[in-house]
Amino acid sequence: MEEKLEKWRRLEEEAREIRRREADWSFIESQPPRLKAALKLYVETGDIRLSSAVAGLSLEEFRELLRAAKIPVVA
Amino acid sequence: MSAREFAIADTCFLIDWAAWRRRDLLFRLFRAVFVPELVLREVRSERTLEWIVEGISSGSLALFTETPGVLDLALRIVERSRLLPVRGVDLPEAVCLAVGKLRGYVVITENRGALAAADLLEELSGVVVWRALELIAEGFRRGLLSGDPRSVFAEYERETGHRFPKRDLEVALRELGGEA
Repeated sequence: MEEKLEKWRRLEEEAREIRRREADWSFIESQPPRLKAALKLYVETGDIRLSSAVAGLSLEEFRELLRAAKIPVVA
Repeated sequence: MSAREFAIADTCFLIDWAAWRRRDLLFRLFRAVFVPELVLREVRSERTLEWIVEGISSGSLALFTETPGVLDLALRIVERSRLLPVRGVDLPEAVCLAVGKLRGYVVITENRGALAAADLLEELSGVVVWRALELIAEGFRRGLLSGDPRSVFAEYERETGHRFPKRDLEVALRELGGEA
């Protein structure tokens, strides 16, 4: 079990690094506070449902915002 | 008829997959792909909705109404996943996982929490979970896709904004005979 948990922690860390690296940070910083916070939350957690709720957007609207911010969904 | 001829898909997968030009591949891989009512409620864009409606009209997609048994197991999966020190599962994905367990359908998701739960939770042992990566690879295996696998995976990434994990993509490319 510990081995599996370690694998998922490592995968999540790798995905986080990809999101951080590929994100358009100037786009993110130019967004209104709520959207900016939600985008940063997504970069760190990869949790699209939580992040879209913070943004006050539907899942699909938030997915479009991720595309605009060049933040990939990694899976 | 095998349960593996059926699949059940979650929202994040459908949203991305619907943006890909070869999205109808999904309809050729399975006899029917179920979309839970909870998932359908989350879909808002014209592009995704039109594709889902077309799929339902042609019989390739079908609405899945959550039964009390499915919801009960789904809620337990949500709770159990929140006890793990990795990302948890939300109810729509948990419904898909519950159906995967109870009915044997292939679960299609891009949700890391759902992928981890299927790997970590004992009550989900035996559940088959596929991502776009496995679907595209299966499309090549069955001869439903042709050409260079690497360029098809790249096309999917370009058109959807999705990113396949490098290691998993390399394994798939090696297996398909493409260069890793």
